[in-house]
Amino acid sequence: MKRTLTVCPYCGTGCTFYLVSDNGRLVGVEPSTTHPVSRGGLCIKGWNAFAFVHHPDRLTTPLIRRDGLLQAASWDDALNLVVEKLKGLQKNYGTDAVMFASSAKATNEENYLLMKLARAVFSTNNIDHCARLCHSSTVTGLAETFGSGAMTNSISCFDQTDLILVIGSNTTEQHPLIGSRILNAVRSGTQLIVADNRRIRLARQADLHLRHKNGSDVALLHGIMHVIIAEDLAEEKFISSRTENYAALTESVAEWTPERAATITGLEATEIIAAARLFASAERAMIVYSMGITQHSHGVDNVRCIASLAMLTGNVGRPGTGVNPLRGQNNVQGGCDMGALPDLYSGYQKVSDPQLREKFASSWGLKSLPATPGLPLTRAMNAATEGQLKAMFIMGENPVISDPDQRHAVATLQNLELLVVQDIFLTETAALADIVLPAACYAEKDGTFTSTERRIQRLQKAVEPPGEARADWEIICRIAERAGYPGMRYSTTSEIMEEIATLTPIYGGINHERLDPHGLQWPCPDIDHPGTPLLHVDGFTRGLGRFSPVDHRLSAEQTDEAYPFVLTTGRTYFHWHTGSMTRRTHLLNREEPHSFIELHPDDAATLGVRNRDELLVSSRRGRLKTQARVTEMVIPGVVFMPFHFAEGAANTLTNNVLDPESSIPEFKVCAVQVEKLP
Amino acid sequence: MKILTPNKVDSFFQLLTQKWDVRLPIVLTDGTRVISSLGDGSIALHGGAVSSKPTAAFFPQHSSVFISVNGLIQEQTTPGLPIFVLGFTDRDLECLRFIDRFFANGLRDDIYFTLRSNAVVAGISGYCGVNGALLQPSSGNCDLEFFWDGCRWLIIPYSGAGNEIVADLPDSAPPEAIEAFKKASTALPDENEKILRQASELLRADRVPDSFWSEIGDRCISCTGCNLACPTCTCFGVQDWRSSKTIERSRMWDSCQLDGFMREASGHNPLGTEALRTRRRIHHKLAADPEKWGDISCFLCGRCDKACPTGIGILAVAKELVARFA
Repeated sequence: MKRTLTVCPYCGTGCTFYLVSDNGRLVGVEPSTTHPVSRGGLCIKGWNAFAFVHHPDRLTTPLIRRDGLLQAASWDDALNLVVEKLKGLQKNYGTDAVMFASSAKATNEENYLLMKLARAVFSTNNIDHCARLCHSSTVTGLAETFGSGAMTNSISCFDQTDLILVIGSNTTEQHPLIGSRILNAVRSGTQLIVADNRRIRLARQADLHLRHKNGSDVALLHGIMHVIIAEDLAEEKFISSRTENYAALTESVAEWTPERAATITGLEATEIIAAARLFASAERAMIVYSMGITQHSHGVDNVRCIASLAMLTGNVGRPGTGVNPLRGQNNVQGGCDMGALPDLYSGYQKVSDPQLREKFASSWGLKSLPATPGLPLTRAMNAATEGQLKAMFIMGENPVISDPDQRHAVATLQNLELLVVQDIFLTETAALADIVLPAACYAEKDGTFTSTERRIQRLQKAVEPPGEARADWEIICRIAERAGYPGMRYSTTSEIMEEIATLTPIYGGINHERLDPHGLQWPCPDIDHPGTPLLHVDGFTRGLGRFSPVDHRLSAEQTDEAYPFVLTTGRTYFHWHTGSMTRRTHLLNREEPHSFIELHPDDAATLGVRNRDELLVSSRRGRLKTQARVTEMVIPGVVFMPFHFAEGAANTLTNNVLDPESSIPEFKVCAVQVEKLP
Repeated sequence: MKILTPNKVDSFFQLLTQKWDVRLPIVLTDGTRVISSLGDGSIALHGGAVSSKPTAAFFPQHSSVFISVNGLIQEQTTPGLPIFVLGFTDRDLECLRFIDRFFANGLRDDIYFTLRSNAVVAGISGYCGVNGALLQPSSGNCDLEFFWDGCRWLIIPYSGAGNEIVADLPDSAPPEAIEAFKKASTALPDENEKILRQASELLRADRVPDSFWSEIGDRCISCTGCNLACPTCTCFGVQDWRSSKTIERSRMWDSCQLDGFMREASGHNPLGTEALRTRRRIHHKLAADPEKWGDISCFLCGRCDKACPTGIGILAVAKELVARFA
């Protein structure tokens, strides 16, 4: 028997556990009892995180499409072909004809290396990852207002706060060990406001549950801020000493009386007033948000309003306060930190800055690096549709299931001249690829993940990968070598982290040895630095916090006679994203074995629908069959679907409209029709 | 009664590995204490009950049922060395007694007894609890027992196998050590046990309203940790993994806190809410098992209370229930 301490591969909470192995096979999981976040507990995905690893569907050999079929190939042939094709397409169409999609499931070291591969070896800034689909609005919005697009506080702050506002986060299902802290805090007297029209578990414990209409967050937050200012509840001292542009905020919310906000949000004005008074009266208040805020065509505006509310009430820079975007994936924070973004190197250093370009070029042994920011992932898909992009190298992502408007996503991928997918299973996306590279999963490699509270923690190899599968970092290095680049030779992942630390000020003091046993929180600028649990304590990262007023905009697609329901999408507790791991985990898939749609009992009665009836759901983009779940979880007129399921895929219906600044798709609002199948 | 001095502990267990698959309390890299193999961490006999359930030695989270290749069931490979497992507190031994009886009842569980039959189980007791607190000696329901008297381990063999294992150790326990063991063996009053019995009586008298279970259920995040950490939980799920030539059937710990655990083929679920499932979990341990087996099947090991992220382990619920309805 062997026990290996590692980090959970699912959400961004950053729980650690021991993988239990026997003769090279995983046989279970044991929680860490000393970890400051998980404290001896885990959620059901964590308890079952060993169970997909040895699944017979794992990819064990490279595959090359020959005669229309994916056929087993040698690593030599597969990697030579990858390099030859990518270089060939770049020669014919320019260096920016290729796109690299990195992965929030992969380690920091691997994200850094794919970023380096794109920029140093293939001379393009076309590198991005799935943060584009989840928290790109946060990165943009908080960078502008605070100077840093990350969770300002730590998870331990939930034990030290007087009030928690949860807006657009189903925390007990999506970050269960954070959600459970909120439940415990409420039992200890912390007040809770839930702003979310789904009746999520936290809502059952809330002092105030605001069921505002989808897409009306700006109106709600404007209404709340209006009341706080009008009733003289703002924290004037904080505003005058720590922030700028306050006058513009007061002007922009002046007309947002609670009555006006009520007409947009569908709430009573009294509810908005009550929320404002409750929030402003708390000595220490935390704001928690997630995809319900970010995944809108005005996601960045939503984030700006949240930042304003926190500054307006002085809730930044102290324990038990802060703006706390909960990052979805295990390493989506790290993916961003490592510069798997089209405009930033690791540590949020801009590619447009000549000095920074020179720094990276010099370290990587190059004369120059490309200066123009690359394409965000979502815009790259559109560019491929239009024929400007010819190739995609996708590591550990499954856009066929995760991207908006599935028909568009599939057509786009099929339109490419080259699609390379590096993954652990033959996902729906890998099945379309020209070349498939088999990767090791989290249990089969070393490296680091960075959790939502900026905690960098070590992932440690417990078992060998199956067949010829290799760790992503090893594959990337072999591609670089074959492309003639000698600057990516590492014998261990700790060597890669050493390089990251030299180039990335916020990771300057990080090395693998220092991370035992429970990691360090960035910024950690030097080897003696203890890490930073709280951001913006004495001043904001950008100096003064900036109030950024916004205008209210409606969601891109409104309901009408043909499509009378608002569809909002998300995840369930038991599955992870496109289900490639959890749908191969017996207990998890047993809990949620198929696609479903939540429908309010009033709507069900009108449609003559009963629980578990088969329904046809259609939007302007497509249609699907799914099963009815009649529940008061949703409000009348709104339906909810999880996007995990390839059969009954919610993203068949969603709208590929993007926030103009963050390029995040509007997953949370589109118009659909629901019909009962005979 | 045998003696094992602290400086001989490592070599004693090292020697045992020649004949036994030795499992014992160790401390892992981040300070978590579990029962595992020598070499997986430093031996850590002090510190009280380990966080993981010791019964997992015989009923692991995941185990193979059979493998079929080209339609033929393969013989299970012979197990390696028999298991020696140290680290059962007196409460853990009660749990083991309970599941031994459960797995032997009716259709005897071959997979469990493949590991259990030839195993040697060692209890641990004495002043080796958290911060030197006393762990009560067992009632002798193990092969041998390690009792820490404050200076050395006194080892009391109860079975032939236990005797064989400690045969080479000196047996010159001083009188004061024997006296310490006898004194420690006197049952201590346990307030928690009283609460559990009161809770059991309230449940059996049907004095707990549904609204209580709704409140508790609202705090359940379905992590299943209460079941997975519990040494007397015996439920498992079964899965088949199929590839072109093989079928691998295995089983894994399951949880009555899950919706799918009781879901009917139609999709209907007689235990379709967290409230009903939580009620069932507690009711099963405190009301149904006493009727079926004569025992409350919670022996207050405390693991579910530690594993539950929202504070609804069995003792926490029992306390709340007694405070409100007794």
